Amino acid sequence: MALSQPPKLANRLLKVFCKPQYLEDIQGDLEEEFYEKVELTSGPLSPLLWYWWQIIKLFRSGIIRQFKPIDSTQKEINMFKNYFQIGLRNLWKYKLGTIINVLGLSTGIAAFVLIALFIRDELSYDQHHEKSNQIYRLTVKNFNVDGSMSRQWAFASAGHAERFKSDFPEVAKAVRFYPWAFPDVYVDGRKFQSEQVVFADSDVFDIFTLPFLQGSPQTAFNTEQSLVLTRTSAIRLFGNDWIKEDIIGRRVTLERSGMKAPFTISGVMEDMPEHQHFHFEYLAPIRFIEQVFGESAMDNVTGNYNWLTYLLLQEGANPKDVENQKDSFFDKYVGQYSNGTDAKDYYGFELQPLTSIHLHSDLEGEIETNGSIQQVYIFGIVGLLLLIVACINYMNLATSHFSRRMKEVGVRKVLGAMRSTLVKQFLTESFLVNIIAFPFAILFIELALPYLNDFMNKDISLNILTDWDILCALAGLLLMVAVFSGLYPSLFLSKIDLTRALKGESAINSNKWNFRNWLVTFQYAVTIALIFSLAVIEGQLYFIRNSDPGYKKEQIVNVRLTRNIKSLDAFKNELLNHPNIIKAAYASRIPTGRLADSWGASYQDGDSTVSVDFRLPFIWTDEDFLETFEIELIAGENFTASQDMTTDSVGYYIINRTGAKALGYNNPREVVGKKLSYGPYNDVTFKSGRILGVAEDFHFESLHTSIAPMLMLKGGTPRRISLKISGDQVQKSLTHIESVWNQFDPENPVSYAFLDEQFDNQYQSEMRLSTMIKFFTGIAIMIGCLGLIGMVGFIIETRSKEIGIRKVLGASSMSIAATIGNRFVILIGIASLVALPIAFYLISGWLNEFVYRTDISIFMIFIPSLSVLAITVLSVGFQTVKASLVNPSEILKDE
Amino acid sequence: MKDYQLGEFEEIVLLTVAILNGDAYGVSIKKEIEDRLERNVSVGALQSALRRMEEKDYLSSKFGDATAKRGGKRKRYFEITNMGKQALAYTKDTRNQLWNAIPDVVLKFSWL
Repeated sequence: MALSQPPKLANRLLKVFCKPQYLEDIQGDLEEEFYEKVELTSGPLSPLLWYWWQIIKLFRSGIIRQFKPIDSTQKEINMFKNYFQIGLRNLWKYKLGTIINVLGLSTGIAAFVLIALFIRDELSYDQHHEKSNQIYRLTVKNFNVDGSMSRQWAFASAGHAERFKSDFPEVAKAVRFYPWAFPDVYVDGRKFQSEQVVFADSDVFDIFTLPFLQGSPQTAFNTEQSLVLTRTSAIRLFGNDWIKEDIIGRRVTLERSGMKAPFTISGVMEDMPEHQHFHFEYLAPIRFIEQVFGESAMDNVTGNYNWLTYLLLQEGANPKDVENQKDSFFDKYVGQYSNGTDAKDYYGFELQPLTSIHLHSDLEGEIETNGSIQQVYIFGIVGLLLLIVACINYMNLATSHFSRRMKEVGVRKVLGAMRSTLVKQFLTESFLVNIIAFPFAILFIELALPYLNDFMNKDISLNILTDWDILCALAGLLLMVAVFSGLYPSLFLSKIDLTRALKGESAINSNKWNFRNWLVTFQYAVTIALIFSLAVIEGQLYFIRNSDPGYKKEQIVNVRLTRNIKSLDAFKNELLNHPNIIKAAYASRIPTGRLADSWGASYQDGDSTVSVDFRLPFIWTDEDFLETFEIELIAGENFTASQDMTTDSVGYYIINRTGAKALGYNNPREVVGKKLSYGPYNDVTFKSGRILGVAEDFHFESLHTSIAPMLMLKGGTPRRISLKISGDQVQKSLTHIESVWNQFDPENPVSYAFLDEQFDNQYQSEMRLSTMIKFFTGIAIMIGCLGLIGMVGFIIETRSKEIGIRKVLGASSMSIAATIGNRFVILIGIASLVALPIAFYLISGWLNEFVYRTDISIFMIFIPSLSVLAITVLSVGFQTVKASLVNPSEILKDE
Repeated sequence: MKDYQLGEFEEIVLLTVAILNGDAYGVSIKKEIEDRLERNVSVGALQSALRRMEEKDYLSSKFGDATAKRGGKRKRYFEITNMGKQALAYTKDTRNQLWNAIPDVVLKFSWL
């Protein structure tokens, strides 16, 4: 019966803790007594319990053995001391190799960390608001008659916020921001010009997390004329000591267009953080604006997209549920137009999650320039590739010097080192190199950060000591890089055959197509892909700079007008008084800007009126516009000086060629004289006019978009004057402009910009990308070169005897270099075959964002491979020639 | 003179080993103590005392022959060493000295 046996588990337990030399007799004694007890007692239970009890009681000093693990940990520590020491000695002994390794790793790591910091920064936008997951921005979509979307606006109409809040149960809170075109602020008689005062609904403090330094969100908008400052604006208005003076309750005056209003400071907020997609310095209650504009002006739910609107949804509410109610919304508030169409067919909503705005949104009238998720992806991939390339570099260099370590490995094996101990040893070495490389990486990061910040317009910092996340991430990265880069070399080196190693035979066949070759191929592929992308980006930028935009962008200065310039004709004439200023033209918007204003249009085709079913935006110009920008008039005639739509109440239009075509006239001459109703110029309000002329197409907007139909109207209120100046004595012309300006508007400083610079600014993000890719390609090439030098050194080391014999037999240095180098040609070939299609696919995606783009030429495809080949030939050639110059007798003398 | 330290239980074990004279192994010692003193002895307590005294050289031990009775496991026989004998003698002497030093009056039972 099993129960009359001593319990096995108890015996096993005894075996675990009992000193082995006592085990036999103690267990014997126990069993002897156990069997006796089994015979004496009736049930088996009490002997069993007794047995267990005795075992437990044996658990005392004198019986318990010393546990072995304590021994082995000590041994491991001792071995690690040894690995560490040997590692340090090796690093010291091969200083050049160490420097190359450390340099390669630290630049790779630095590049990776920089990119990671950048991406972390980009992803952190708007996350700091407590309810960021429930906040959505209301954006408005406009649709054409045919149902296609014409524009999507970042702003909403004045009437949306209130109605959304009352009509949709999903919407808990709503806020509108309305920037009241930069009023002047007076404090104690001192004037602060054009301050960015933004009017907002009082829900703003419930929706966004805006910490207050003085005052509180509850009392901030107590009166209609309250003004909330930020730290920066408080310092500006009240000086650095504002916090000591109690500025709550101080009176300031806002003035705009001659209208003055007193305001009371009701609170001071912390500055809006960098990682927010909007930044305001003054907040005031929107009720004030309602008073100014009148209630009725606040009712509209279509058009007048000037109201940045955010909604706080109820917890768990789905934004789609709100979007889907747009039909009933427009039926309720607009209904049917007089021409029988439904308003709901022209408008739609999209609720953008707050946290996705910075990276995913690029709508009409974004409040600030947003980031792009595409850029995040590109940089992320590049950063990861650079890190891998740096690790590969280490692998190559570590394995390439294996012959140095071969005898060491052999002796260690003879002395009983197991493979695992060798692996540990070489891993320790990779850790050592990484530990040395990391401080350098951090140094590089610190050096590069100011440039990155400047370049990317950011404020990223690396606080290793205070930022726990970064410290942990860096430690993790160190561990990862060390293991990833050290694993292959340690496996490779510990694999070396004992007898061969001790014979000193360099018998490991370097000709074999081994793993290292794949590593080098990968490095080549990354470099080729980067160079290729760079070539395409540069090609596109070259294409942009040299493409004809349809107007002359050189030697044009644009001056922004202010409200103080009242007599436009006098101002223009005064400017033209100088011989260097050749032409001057007023316009509401200028090329390189955006065609944002648009009215509805219909035209007379024979007897019938046809409404224009495409977007036909307009700009206000004068009669000198076409000549100043050197835009060709291909049909009809130009405006005359006396025509003015505002004063004459008659439409005067010039349309562009694309516009004429869109109206159905392929021959521009036929459209001249056609009657066109445009916006308010519809014979009801004002007299609709006739198309006077047709202008040749030109790129008003950037090359990202195709040339669209557009109208030029004569008159209106211009916002800029464009001046054509002569090529020489630019400085003199500018001085003249400034002096004339000061006569007409002594209050404001003149603000001008050169058109060609504005033209280039349209492609700022592309140029930025190009610079970044250039920088990273440089790093990749540098790391790759280091790896290559290591690799070639490895081959030469293993084939030194072969080289010696070849030389003895009469081979030239060049032919030896060729035998060593030919494999690299194959590697480059393979790398090109892999890298180019992938890079081609990715970069085509980027290029497709341009409507007008360069073609990817054969030239661009061959450049990367050829330049990589050239770099290889240089580094291989140099090393092999050096190796083949050694006297063969030196190499061949032993053995 | 060397200081022989023996705990109470150690002394009993040592005496018992001497009593058993060549037949002292775990089970027999334990039974002897339990019989004579009518107290329960755990294997743990006994074994640790035995080993402790072996370390102090009061006891020596050797394996006996294997028998089928206890699963083929050998017995370990303990024997008292000269040092052990001296320790016992020393302990007895000190006890005697103490006994002798007690005034007779004290030991008279009070009912007399």
